[in-house]
Amino acid sequence: MPFIQNTDADRAAMLAAIGVKSIDDLFADIPAGLRIKMSDAGTFKLPPGKGELEVTRHIQDLLSRTKNAGDYAYFRGGGIYNHFVSTVIDHIALFDGSFITAYTPYQPECSQGTLTFIYEFQSAICALTGLEVSNASMYDGASALAEAMMMGKHVAEDRFRKETRNNFILAGAVNPEYAQVVQTYADVAGIKVVKVPAGPDGRIDKEALAKAATRKAFAIAVQSPNYLGIIEDVEGVVAAAKEPELLTIQAVGEALSLALLQTPAEAGVDICIGEGQSLGNHQFLGGPAFGFFSAKKEWLRKMPGRIVSETKDKNGKRAFALALATREQHIRREKATSNICTNQSLCALRALLHLSAWGKEGFVELAEHTVAKTQYAMKALSAVPGVSLVHPDVPVFNEFVIQAMPGLEKKVLKKKVAGGLPLDKYGKGRRGQYLVAITEVTTKEEIDRYAEALAEAMKGKPVTVS
Amino acid sequence: MIQNPAEKLLYEVSAPGRRCLRLPTLDVPKVDIKHALKGAKLRAKPAVLPEVGELDLVRHFKNLAQMNFSVDRNFYPLGSCTMKYNPKINVTLLSLPGFTKAHPHLPEADLQGHIELMVTLETWLREISGLDAVTLQPAAGAQGEMTGLMVIKAYLESRGEAKTRTKIVIPDSAHGTNPATAALAGFDTVTLKSKPDGGVDLEALKAAVGPDTAAMMITNPSTLGVIEPNMVEIAKILHAAGAQLYMDGANMNAIQGVVRPGDLGIDVMHFNLHKTYSVPHGSGGPGAGPIAVRKHLEPFLPYPRPVKTDKGYTLSNPNPKQTIGKVRSFFGNYGALVMAYIYMAQLGREGVRRNGENATLNANYLRAALRGVYHIHNDKTCAHEVVFTDKKQHEENDISALDIAKRMIDYGIHPMTIYFPQPNVVAGHGAMMVEPTETESKETLDYFVDVMKKIAQECKDNPDLVHNAPHTTPVARVDEKSATTNPQLYCAICIA
Repeated sequence: MPFIQNTDADRAAMLAAIGVKSIDDLFADIPAGLRIKMSDAGTFKLPPGKGELEVTRHIQDLLSRTKNAGDYAYFRGGGIYNHFVSTVIDHIALFDGSFITAYTPYQPECSQGTLTFIYEFQSAICALTGLEVSNASMYDGASALAEAMMMGKHVAEDRFRKETRNNFILAGAVNPEYAQVVQTYADVAGIKVVKVPAGPDGRIDKEALAKAATRKAFAIAVQSPNYLGIIEDVEGVVAAAKEPELLTIQAVGEALSLALLQTPAEAGVDICIGEGQSLGNHQFLGGPAFGFFSAKKEWLRKMPGRIVSETKDKNGKRAFALALATREQHIRREKATSNICTNQSLCALRALLHLSAWGKEGFVELAEHTVAKTQYAMKALSAVPGVSLVHPDVPVFNEFVIQAMPGLEKKVLKKKVAGGLPLDKYGKGRRGQYLVAITEVTTKEEIDRYAEALAEAMKGKPVTVS
Repeated sequence: MIQNPAEKLLYEVSAPGRRCLRLPTLDVPKVDIKHALKGAKLRAKPAVLPEVGELDLVRHFKNLAQMNFSVDRNFYPLGSCTMKYNPKINVTLLSLPGFTKAHPHLPEADLQGHIELMVTLETWLREISGLDAVTLQPAAGAQGEMTGLMVIKAYLESRGEAKTRTKIVIPDSAHGTNPATAALAGFDTVTLKSKPDGGVDLEALKAAVGPDTAAMMITNPSTLGVIEPNMVEIAKILHAAGAQLYMDGANMNAIQGVVRPGDLGIDVMHFNLHKTYSVPHGSGGPGAGPIAVRKHLEPFLPYPRPVKTDKGYTLSNPNPKQTIGKVRSFFGNYGALVMAYIYMAQLGREGVRRNGENATLNANYLRAALRGVYHIHNDKTCAHEVVFTDKKQHEENDISALDIAKRMIDYGIHPMTIYFPQPNVVAGHGAMMVEPTETESKETLDYFVDVMKKIAQECKDNPDLVHNAPHTTPVARVDEKSATTNPQLYCAICIA
């Protein structure tokens, strides 16, 4: 039978060795009346099994009722980006069973492969963020932010024992997916999430931030580049956090931006988390990818997640091992500050492969290439009659917002263009606005096609600016 | 000493100017970055990333690959982790562009096949769990637990009971994630001492459960590898007190297709698709931890929920006021769900049952074959895993579970789980929890038995050989303590 190698003869010999008559005898602890009766076709209604050929056909049939980013000139991001993924990555991480079919490296002597790549991954994340410690990865950017919030709460409880600090400040245009996950975690932890809105220029409203940044809070989180693609003044956030002694967290939605922009360490933040999908991970409707989590050294022992350290074997040879497990749930149980058990190792491996394949110079060039294309797209789209840039005076990295009119989505789709993500539902006053994302995959021809499709869709229609 | 470059770290084989990928030709005007970014501050220096050619990159990782044990190459009876074979078709089909380029913000019309897959997978998990509704969103078992307790909390709030029902009862044999999750979800934990055989002490449970109990979290089969014989009574005790019964489905591999947890009285459970349904473990993730719930808890499940309507498939938020919200961005680890779906489509009705039966058969065979060689904590019929201990070897030759585990590596077998369940649950001994899974053949099991017998003999004849194991690995016994006391977490070159 598929995936079972024991033959009937094997099974008979094994039952005899065990000293029971049938496999049913092994389930005697389950009341007989409650066991599933396989002879009754009306119960346990699963379909009959398919062979490899049939299941392949079935999956192809399902996929025939889908389209993907490759079917369009694709301009949607919003946290997941249509990047090029080198073939080297799938060959190592997907098709070589050595990493994908191993488990968490509990036994270092037969897991040096995994431990080494996690150590190299941590090194690369430290290089990107400038911060001194990185864990082995989290589920995604959104839950990494939620974990950072929980960590911030624990840090504050230790540092300010006599104060009640229960507010978590979410500053500016944070990805709604992140904000929703943070809210879910905050609800059960009794934390109050205080949202400081973006001002008219799309960046954090500094006055509102100053008002919220009191000793009632324990941390401020800012996303930069933010959900609207705009680069925030992270140093300004760190300054606002100084007097009330708040922990500062930077969230990064497009990790490629770290190639060029002031590092979280240079800006002075305590913790930097982010979504790692854009580093060599496929889109898969948003997962699996991974969240990265890095911090200043002083917070190491409060950090969630697995961490790998260099050490030595008993002969003095360099080796790697899981470290600081005493923070974790399997040791501390109800006293642990996170319930995280596994990380997203394989996705972290993909990120390491991606960063190494582009390399020190290539990764910067990739970011510069993206900026050039983004600048071109901003000019080309805003040149369409009736279309304008919503935030023309602030810096953006690879995403920007255009003002057009509502309901253009389907019209441009007809031209094989998946235009920017409609922001109608994102916030008041965003009617007819679209969040446009650019990657190295985007070509000039596609940008021009989008501009033409927009122009045609807008033609003869009144331009509504809310 | 001569060192093969392939054994160095990537950073140590880097040289300025080496590279692997090249950019497409820039087909738009070049820009001045400072000008284009309108005065935004830039980083002082480029990030120190490796600089290698494709050959050195591939060779580095192929060399690391050889330093790893994996299911593809080694028997991997790591208890509680269900290290079964991961069929190759999983990754082959997953690498189709229909999945790899499925962007979450595509129009819903373009996602019909994906949503259909999710709806069908939910149907199958409902049928296997015997429960009424499923969410696929949790990214891992631990997040499934969190989601389950959040749902219970929201339900209690809807009934005005959240302030009074604040306690979660958890057996002392539970995985560490259970108490950690309960604490994070804002509950107090009550630890229930297990009976020596790992079962729940009904009298102690009755004493622990009351009007302040929100739920009990139970692992069935237990972490001692035993099917809980009193599930129905346990459920009655909880329900009589107005509390919910949560099942940690980590050990579902044994009872899938044999009994439906819902029929045992479970209200909420999580699946570990990376254990039971062959999503590769990936060196520690990604996995997926869907939860299944009884009808009264359904309104509180995370959104969006995939549904079938007359007009096709859609993602909806049917209970915006009651849902707990989102626990993960977008739709969870969809790529992992796809692999579980492919596997389950192949298993079908008969295959699910067959897996449960053969997983249980294989574990019991090992129990019988090693009886008398190693102490068995609870020598009665087990489920998918069996807990041996180091009692005999420790008393006779001062050899610990750790030593035995390390020696197994020399025979090409990945060690079993050791020291879990914790010593206080197994009479102070070092536990050695063996989970063979259903995918291993009798020949492999017999090899394992021979190896374990040989190691038992070595413990008597040549204890130093076992104490100093492993002897055949790229590194000898690793100093894990100094990794914690003196952590070195990154290559120094990365942060100037």
